[in-house]
Amino acid sequence: MSLIQIHDLVKRYDAQTVLNGINLEVSEGDLQVIMGPSGCGKSTLLRCLNRLVEPTSGSILFRGKNIMDPGVDVRALRQSIGFVFQQFALYRHLNVMDNITLALRKLKHMSKSEAEERALLELNRFNMSAHRDKYPSQLSGGQMQRVALARALAMDPAVVVLDEPTSALDPVLSREVGDLIRQLHHDRITMVCVTHDLTLARHISDELVFMDKGIIMAKGSIDSLSREHQNPQVRSFFGRESGSK
Amino acid sequence: MNGWLSFERDLMEQMPLILTGLQDTLLLAVTISITGLLLGIVVFYLTLSRSAVMRYCIKAYLSFFIGMPLIVLLFLMYYGLPQWGIRLSPFTVALIGFTLNVAAYNAAYLTTAFNGLNKTEIEAARAQGFSSLQVFRLITLPQVLRLSVPALTNQVIANLKDTSVAFLIQYTEFFARVQELASTNFQFFKAYVFAALVYLAIVSVIVIVARWIERRIVIPGISPASPIASP
Repeated sequence: MSLIQIHDLVKRYDAQTVLNGINLEVSEGDLQVIMGPSGCGKSTLLRCLNRLVEPTSGSILFRGKNIMDPGVDVRALRQSIGFVFQQFALYRHLNVMDNITLALRKLKHMSKSEAEERALLELNRFNMSAHRDKYPSQLSGGQMQRVALARALAMDPAVVVLDEPTSALDPVLSREVGDLIRQLHHDRITMVCVTHDLTLARHISDELVFMDKGIIMAKGSIDSLSREHQNPQVRSFFGRESGSK
Repeated sequence: MNGWLSFERDLMEQMPLILTGLQDTLLLAVTISITGLLLGIVVFYLTLSRSAVMRYCIKAYLSFFIGMPLIVLLFLMYYGLPQWGIRLSPFTVALIGFTLNVAAYNAAYLTTAFNGLNKTEIEAARAQGFSSLQVFRLITLPQVLRLSVPALTNQVIANLKDTSVAFLIQYTEFFARVQELASTNFQFFKAYVFAALVYLAIVSVIVIVARWIERRIVIPGISPASPIASP
């Protein structure tokens, strides 16, 4: 069953068209990988999903309801979509535990002990419970990304969206985050991952969507896109890593 | 020697009045520091408004109160308003005038600290489903206040020193009482050295308290750029 259905999605900033008629479906349990060069509109597409960016036209159905309808509770929608940012975006003034429990206490109205119990479950999943009292500045990039994932998952979202989750990490940590994403996919967590990291894309998924200039140009496996796609631009994008598989 | 003895005798005679003045100075300084901070936070919040009209109004407020000398504002309210039938006590005029002035400075300090924040944290909080007010209260303000401790402390010190201006609108605070002492025995130098030492002692206490607060709220990775001024 489709969790997210995107139809003819357009986003314009004055004269600049960032998304130009996107159509995409994400089913429950899917790991949808979206690739494309920097500035192709990938991050804007993710931000449209929870209306951090307001689309210009088109529709996004989330569990069958158009999120652009006037009566939609945007804050409730956002609580259903876990967002993991490129730069981790942990709250610097809160320790790991508080980073995870803040939304649970203030938005889900859990008691402190309930919220901490829930947070510990997620921290254990990512082997981070020993770091519960540390502040973000005391963590490595990989650890911060684990906490960001734990924070997103603690809210029990319907889907987790990851915006360039490895772009601020070195290759070893990127591999680690890739392993975590695979583990989450194995646990049937629905995810949409935007990246321009071919190694990560290869590591986490067989199929992906390729975007450029605000449109979806191709869908398929990296191998078929790099070898057989009719558009030379697509072949060239994926071909740049053909020797590093 | 005799001069110092006679000054000391006059000082002791006037001590009850001087202590009353000191009490009034501290009352005004503490009150305007609190009201100035609270209004400053409100003004800072409004600077983040999505409404262009609101942001323009706040900009005008900041330009007006930072640009206008405080003494002009106090005179305007104390001597000018009665011509329109509005009479306010010296304390009320000082409280309103100082609060409006101090809030403008505090809002500017908070805005400067905000400009140094990582804005993706704010985006992350919105993405989690927090309202604008929750984002401000739970994410923005705690960080901005920590980053602004030195600037806000320096403002409290300035508030204490600036209260001496209030004697020009008949608010008989500490410096007004020292003026009275000096004019009774004409020992101006000794009286003003005494006043300077008292101000210095209070400023030292403020700095000690501020450094204690700063140590208490310190968080790895969040440190203010400028230090608290030493007396």
